Amino acid sequence: MIILIGLLVTLLGFVISVLSLTLASSVGGRLVLVLLGIAVSLFGIMGLLNKHYLKNAIWKKG
Amino acid sequence: MTTTKRLLLVLTVVLCIAPLGFPQTPAAPAAATPAAAPAPTPKPITDADLANAPVPSADGRAKGDPDGSLTGTASDVTVSDPKKGLTIGDLANQVGQNKIAINFVWTLVTGFLVMFMQAGFAIVETGLCRAKNANHTMMMNFMVYGVGMLAYWLIGFAIQEGGVGAVANLGGTAPLSAEQMIHVFGKDVGIWGKNGFLLMHHGTYDVSVMVMFLFQMVFMDTALTIVTGTAAERWKYAAFVVSSFLMGAFTYPLFANWAWGGGWLATLGANFGLGHGYSDFAGSGVVHAVGGMTALAMGIIVGPRIGKYTRDGKPNAIPGHDIVLVLLGCFILAFGWFGFNPGSTLGASANGNLRISSVAVNTMLAGMAGSFGAMLYMWIRYRKPDASMTGNGLLAGLVAITAPSGFVNPVAAVIIGVIAGVLVCLSVEFIDRVLKVDDPVGAISVHGANGLWGVISVGLYADGTSNYGGSWNGVAGSVTGLFYGDAGQLVAQLVGVATLIGFVFSLSFIFNALIDWFVGQRVSAKAELEGLDIPEMGALGYPEFVIHAEAASVE
Repeated sequence: MIILIGLLVTLLGFVISVLSLTLASSVGGRLVLVLLGIAVSLFGIMGLLNKHYLKNAIWKKG
Repeated sequence: MTTTKRLLLVLTVVLCIAPLGFPQTPAAPAAATPAAAPAPTPKPITDADLANAPVPSADGRAKGDPDGSLTGTASDVTVSDPKKGLTIGDLANQVGQNKIAINFVWTLVTGFLVMFMQAGFAIVETGLCRAKNANHTMMMNFMVYGVGMLAYWLIGFAIQEGGVGAVANLGGTAPLSAEQMIHVFGKDVGIWGKNGFLLMHHGTYDVSVMVMFLFQMVFMDTALTIVTGTAAERWKYAAFVVSSFLMGAFTYPLFANWAWGGGWLATLGANFGLGHGYSDFAGSGVVHAVGGMTALAMGIIVGPRIGKYTRDGKPNAIPGHDIVLVLLGCFILAFGWFGFNPGSTLGASANGNLRISSVAVNTMLAGMAGSFGAMLYMWIRYRKPDASMTGNGLLAGLVAITAPSGFVNPVAAVIIGVIAGVLVCLSVEFIDRVLKVDDPVGAISVHGANGLWGVISVGLYADGTSNYGGSWNGVAGSVTGLFYGDAGQLVAQLVGVATLIGFVFSLSFIFNALIDWFVGQRVSAKAELEGLDIPEMGALGYPEFVIHAEAASVE
């Protein structure tokens, strides 16, 4: 389940970045939205997916 | 030292420094010339003039041509109608064919250089792994070439280039004209190509298409081989084959279509006013970041090697077995990069392609700067100029300059390279200690982090002086970054970064998680401890070396 959520959040960041093309008309507005999208994707990868896999990491099994 | 040697040494030094002490004679000024008379109107050349063109006699040619003055004259121009003799039409055709021939040869030879990079990757990765996995690591790097090529020939090339349209430098590539379009935000944007499956589909059995295929294929294979480094020493060989096939058939070609094949990223400028659209001259994003993002997905899924982390999560260094191989491989890669970046003009003649010299110099400068950045960082932080990280610094500089190499000046190339050299060290530490993703060769940092940095640097440092036929990605003028006045270009580059992190990572993750689900990505713990050479490949890479090492450790 966490894997699915992590993937969806990662993809959501991409969608936010693409939506910046239509949600904002100024370069500054688009820049902010694209950076937000990148941050969301990075959270999905590092904060959700990777953390989930680390819970079962081989070095924790002794 | 003998007296003779001392004298020779002094003489050598004197000869070397003497010219510095002598005043240099300035070049004679050009003779003053009177004001030129108005030039006469040029007389049009006619077929009759061509008939009088001097050609060497048969007798003269029979005596040989030691100085080359008799070879390659009007007599070598192909005549379409012998009765008419040489005509203006023949001459024009020959000029056109020469232009395309120069571009064919340039693109093919630079493609051959990129192909040789596979050898560099193979020995860098093998050198950074332990001797007990040498056969397995080498075999992955060897067969990724074949597996990737098969996938790309069958499927990938059509998806990537099937709708690229006419490539003027290569004489047209007219059969590559079918791009699947979708209508979003009021614009028609491309999402994948549809011509070119098996290089026989819809007229793609074509000389220009073949050049395009060879060049693009070796780029694709570079991306694939990045992943083998991150997953080395614990990747199940069968899973590697399936994973590489999927990447060569779908993941890489899809993003490459969006960036290079006429897809939606390339048209961000024409459709949405963002500079010249996503601009990636030779593939920091398309090749290296795609490889790096896939490597990150694989690193998360396959997990760290046994012994990489202690039970409380502290990382252990697992040194590679041959630093000589590593640095030799880095040199081979640096050599191959002269194909990677300058070759990406897809030609040496016309359309601003003489900028290949600038691209080549930027490439070598950034590589140098990257190795300095990494070496100095390691020297200051750890008191030693670490060899493997210095090698990675060279590669990081080269990766980072790949996207901007065609758009920036030499000073920017050095800045980009230095930042890349430091970034690769910081990234390795972050991935190793914070993310706890085990990456034996540092591929995620070298190719992923620095691939993204290279993409961003186009949006910062592109100086607006390049001119590849008057436009780029369908937008007139030169690619210009934020520091030279176009903030929109930076946004276009960041949309590319968001696509790499958000979409490419996700697609790679899904493919590899499915493989993990069905067949498993990781070898057994027993096989990993024993070394993968026997369990996976059936033979040791260095049988005698391993036996000797084990005996030594027992003693």
